[in-house]
Amino acid sequence: MKPYDAIIVGGGHNGLVCAAYLARAGKRVLVLERRDRIGGAAVTEEVFPGFRFSVFSYVVSLLRPEIIRELDLPRHGLHVLPLESTLTPLPNGDYLAQWNDHDQNRRELARHSLRDAEAYDDYGRRMHHMARAVKPLLAMAPPDPASLHPRDLLGLAGLGSHLRGLGRERFHELCRLMTMSSADYLDQWFECEPLKATKSASGIIGTLAGPRSPGTAFVLLHHYMGELDGVFRAWGFAKGGNGSVSAAIAAAARSFGAEIRTSAPVERVLIESDRAAGVVLEGGEEIRARRVASSADPRRTFVDLVGEKHLPAEFVAAIRRYRFRGSSAKVNLALGELPRFRCLPQPGAHLRGAISISPSVEYLERAYDQAKYGEFSQRPYLDMVIPSLLDPSMAPPGKHVMSIFVQYAPYRLNGGWTDARREAFGDTVIDTIAEYAPNLKSAILHRQVVTPADIERTLGLSEGNIFQGELSLQQMFFLRPAVPWARYGTPIRDLFQCGSGTHPGGGVMGASGRNAARAMLEQGV
Amino acid sequence: MTARTVIIGAGANELVAAHLLAQAGNSVLVLAVTESDRLDSGWVAPQIVRALDLERHGLQASTPDPWLALPVAPDERLELWNDVARSAESIRRFSSTDAARWPEFCERMARLARALETLALEGPPDPVGEGFGAIAEMLGVSLRMRRRGRPALEDLLRIVPMPIADLLDDWFECDALKGALGAAGILHLRQGPRAGGTALNFLQHHAGCAPGVFRPAASNLRLVLTQLPGIEIRQAQVTRILVGGGQAKGVVLEGGEEIAAERVLSGADPQRTLLQLVDPGWLEPEFVRTLRGIRSRGAVAQVVLELDREPGFSTLAIAPSLDYLEKAYDDVKYGHVSRQPYVEARAEGRKVRVHVQYVPHTDLDAAAREALAEQVIRSIDAHQPGFGGSVVQKTILLPADLQNRFGWPEGQMHHAEPALDQWLWMRPTPELARYRTPIGGLYLCGPAMHPGAWFNGACGYLAAKRALEHGRTSTR
Repeated sequence: MKPYDAIIVGGGHNGLVCAAYLARAGKRVLVLERRDRIGGAAVTEEVFPGFRFSVFSYVVSLLRPEIIRELDLPRHGLHVLPLESTLTPLPNGDYLAQWNDHDQNRRELARHSLRDAEAYDDYGRRMHHMARAVKPLLAMAPPDPASLHPRDLLGLAGLGSHLRGLGRERFHELCRLMTMSSADYLDQWFECEPLKATKSASGIIGTLAGPRSPGTAFVLLHHYMGELDGVFRAWGFAKGGNGSVSAAIAAAARSFGAEIRTSAPVERVLIESDRAAGVVLEGGEEIRARRVASSADPRRTFVDLVGEKHLPAEFVAAIRRYRFRGSSAKVNLALGELPRFRCLPQPGAHLRGAISISPSVEYLERAYDQAKYGEFSQRPYLDMVIPSLLDPSMAPPGKHVMSIFVQYAPYRLNGGWTDARREAFGDTVIDTIAEYAPNLKSAILHRQVVTPADIERTLGLSEGNIFQGELSLQQMFFLRPAVPWARYGTPIRDLFQCGSGTHPGGGVMGASGRNAARAMLEQGV
Repeated sequence: MTARTVIIGAGANELVAAHLLAQAGNSVLVLAVTESDRLDSGWVAPQIVRALDLERHGLQASTPDPWLALPVAPDERLELWNDVARSAESIRRFSSTDAARWPEFCERMARLARALETLALEGPPDPVGEGFGAIAEMLGVSLRMRRRGRPALEDLLRIVPMPIADLLDDWFECDALKGALGAAGILHLRQGPRAGGTALNFLQHHAGCAPGVFRPAASNLRLVLTQLPGIEIRQAQVTRILVGGGQAKGVVLEGGEEIAAERVLSGADPQRTLLQLVDPGWLEPEFVRTLRGIRSRGAVAQVVLELDREPGFSTLAIAPSLDYLEKAYDDVKYGHVSRQPYVEARAEGRKVRVHVQYVPHTDLDAAAREALAEQVIRSIDAHQPGFGGSVVQKTILLPADLQNRFGWPEGQMHHAEPALDQWLWMRPTPELARYRTPIGGLYLCGPAMHPGAWFNGACGYLAAKRALEHGRTSTR
């Protein structure tokens, strides 16, 4: 049989995006997914009869607008419903709500702090400008800073001139955002604790770091990235759950001629005379291709699928150093009725947005302290959404599904994750919410708890890290996953990386997959 | 023409600046304002030694040997010596793997320290500076970094923003070794070893040191500079910097005496210099906001103990593991003194100076003060039996005392916290990184400036160079 132009290992959103772009360029592409369904961490599953969940990732925040446009995803079924608000219930029975509506938001903030209400617009404008400054970097293949290859020198010169082009003020602001802690950064702007905490929480997601850890400020920008493009608001919810994001990308890929096989676990990358020549499936089937791209994380790709013996020792050391440290979990609830929050007991618009348990920076920091020493947080940070309010097809009539992102749940739990520990952790999460919404316990019909260990086992994400590796300063841009292999290539010829373990990584963004496809096409796949 | 330059402060930075300006033909008056700070610790760069011919004038530097000793078990100490092989021998008693890795670690870190030395003594690069000169300067810095070779450059980019805990976990398994080295990453920083940027702080303590030594030498720099002729030093408290037409005109002393000057260099921290000594109204509100944004949280108390005999150690540190340091930080994060602080004691004859971290900049009552001293003594006594009984006198300097006595804002020795976001062209803020202030003729030369207090006298050296350059261009 004629070999494929490219095989993509893994059918998560980045693998599918990569495949779609290659197929769109006329290449013969095969995607191989280990599980019986595509999507990786962006899946919708009917976990309990009638109740459908975005089991892992649960919001669409960062999917690149150019991908939506170029792959024409709305035509393939992507429909994003905006999340209009974030509610932060407080222990004293009050709450802080942030609304997308400007005036409503200002009135609410002024209730807590006049000064913060004043500062909010300036902050928003600043973030907007900074997001615009960073945006071109997302689509860039990071140059190798130590190389004298003209391609890298050009890349560095391009990077340099982009940064200089920002002008003094924005350049320095970018430096601050890259190096500060989210709490320190927000301290410059705001005084209202729940506001600072809820905003800084976005800086800790997926990372074993607290809001006072330097390097967490950068992620504050993410909230403003989506808004920038006017396609949809900062946070959105995909109709039909996040599985429909994957389904839309897959449909686009198929429309360009890509083949997608599920239940096709790749055992290893076939290496012949130092080149990738295809893959071998578990069970022995050999499929040949001119190029292979892996969307698995760096550890999976290089340690498991390639094998250390094929790789230079320096590179193996770098991959071993690369940090995962999964720190987040999911709890998915099937509810007989809506939760009634003490601060706002009536059903209303506030339930249609995100609900965040983040009353103060200290609360988050204490949650982190426990995780540092290998325990899950006794009072964790929670980010909840009730998708069935936006998309009734997610639950039976009159019933609801609630998706709860939880941090911190360290992968390396003292004593390890057992069934008992998982349930104890689930109880902690429910107890935490019940302090704010007392009816929750009796409303629960079913509960699913997904720990980092479960994420690793089910999806193959090392240590359950949802970003395929921490998004910390030492693992960003040309350091992701290791210099000089951050341009989507690998030490093995014809083997590429296209997962979130490469720049820019993180979230249901798809940029890694798109950048990788472009790098492959440039090298004449 | 002689121009009168007044320098506020008489620390090593101020004195280096004073002599450089005097050398260039200026008449210089140094006003010693606060009690002169600390022991002169910190590396004296060869550029400074050469410029002021300090070797001939008797500059001496010394590093204790071992530079750190850590009790691990009764009668067992991990000792880190100036000699790589000798340290490896000591490490071997706890982990042969770590002992085997020690020489390579030392070599890799030394390479990075050399790069940081280059960066430190060049003046901060300005990546967005205007004109061809700035671009050329930036390219020059990049080239010098690249010329150190691929592994060094890769290490530099990767390691600088790292938490020191991650760096040490990559190399070693022995908790005590990691605790001993990790301490260098948190010194004077209100961050724990798991915070990004602590690897940079660790490497800064390595600058100017021999491979395997992560504490800068102490020197008699200030003493030598004080005795060096060519400048006038006067004990006086400055209450105000005179400004006219946006230009520094001189200073006012306590008691009202006015001293006219064409140029003023201040070794005080930027907030004190510009918000307290300068009349309000000369600065833009936006700039004032930036100034207030400089973080200078103190985290250290100094305890000085007088003994009735020599203590039986030259140095002793309590940092059994990285988690120990991290837990000490957890307390200060919420505003409390560490229940089990990092303690580093150095003996000078019958006197022992102890660095205690973390102590927040809050008011402690007399009892809390006493309790802290007692705890420090007890923790040393636990490893050096009889120590507690030999203490005849104790002095405790909390961050607030350090502020009053040495002018360290909130007790922060570096004036501006040595964090990643206050480094290079960000130190202490981008607006001030070139040593100039919005007031013409007023310069900053204290440790809040690049390259910080690790490099003794270097802030003054660079500030004086900048002031001289500027003087030349403005008279042209």
